[in-house]
Amino acid sequence: MSSSSAEQRRVLIVDDDRALRHALATLLQGKGYAVEQAGDGTEGLLHLRRDGTDVMLLDINLPGMSGLEVLEQAQALPSPPFVVMMTADGTPETVVRAVQGQAFRYIRKPFAPKAIIEIVGDAMSAAPAAALPIEVISARPEWLEVVAPCTLEVAERLHALVMQLETSLPEDVRESVAQACRELLFNAVEWGGKLDPTRKVRISCLRAKRMLLYRIADPGEGFDIERLMHAAICNPDDDPLRHALVREEQGLRPGGLGLAITRSLVDELIYNEAHNEVVFVKYLD
Amino acid sequence: VPAVFPIVVRTVDDVTVVDLHGHLMDDGDIPLVECVTDLIRRGRLKVLLNLKDVTRIDSTGIGMLVAKFLSLRRLGGDLKLLHVSERARHLLAVTKLSRVIETFESEEEALRSFGVRP
Repeated sequence: MSSSSAEQRRVLIVDDDRALRHALATLLQGKGYAVEQAGDGTEGLLHLRRDGTDVMLLDINLPGMSGLEVLEQAQALPSPPFVVMMTADGTPETVVRAVQGQAFRYIRKPFAPKAIIEIVGDAMSAAPAAALPIEVISARPEWLEVVAPCTLEVAERLHALVMQLETSLPEDVRESVAQACRELLFNAVEWGGKLDPTRKVRISCLRAKRMLLYRIADPGEGFDIERLMHAAICNPDDDPLRHALVREEQGLRPGGLGLAITRSLVDELIYNEAHNEVVFVKYLD
Repeated sequence: VPAVFPIVVRTVDDVTVVDLHGHLMDDGDIPLVECVTDLIRRGRLKVLLNLKDVTRIDSTGIGMLVAKFLSLRRLGGDLKLLHVSERARHLLAVTKLSRVIETFESEEEALRSFGVRP
């Protein structure tokens, strides 16, 4: 990843919509970023090769070379930036291609100024580990399957991208699925993968007509759910703080609520015998 | 370039109101941990967390609130929540934490619960 030695962090906007480019530039300059602009992919790549940047905001539907082609070429550079894909199209196929192209985030136009500021801020503060490659095993919108290194940064990136597949769902369903996926994915990379980037977590996202099914397999040995005294899921009904006290005694960081929360958000939560693979289902009707 | 300052601290009598912004998650909770730890060090043990501008919260964020709630309670203080979103309220309910951590819709009401006179 690029890292600017100058105090001012840099953003390159590549979009053929001049008005949007200028509006974004003004917005981001107001937040203290140094902003450069390009009206097409060729110009954007030229700029990237010559000057580099920290974050590239890249439109997908560019004249000539598409944004996805620019993404591919940008990723081949010795010091690629974090790339945020922008599009008004927003089909699941495009999201999948952005995942394949190792995009950092994906945002649909039109977007609120706050949303793009937040994403650029996330990219600027992301650790280099966030750029570790995600291997795409199945690139169908109805069956996306990937293998990713066990780091929180990649989990965050993967989660943000995968959730773009589900934007047609009602907001409450989408939020529930997003949160359940995040809780389980983070559990998998932290507890199963021990935050070791050489170990891999496998995630499958299946979309059927009447349900969503997510399967997350981690490289750990699993766990015994009956013995998770540091997790809220094992708290007695009358003592919702017991897990927190256990965590303090064991020197664990605050938490332990993920499973209890996930169970309330989805319709089915099924573990395999070892508890190193989990499936959750959300019915859509 | 910090896009937003995530925490604003205000004092109303012996209550400290902490206005939070952005994410309350594993990647965003460190300023809050430091803030509450500092308040404890200074003996300010009545803390009202205003979640009005918190855009996302997850189990780690809630876990951190619980840890700070326990720390303050142990020292005779308290931690209460203001302007909790519907989703965060759901998370507190399913973890049964809503039984122990008080939440309020109005700052005035929350301050009154700490014994502050309007």
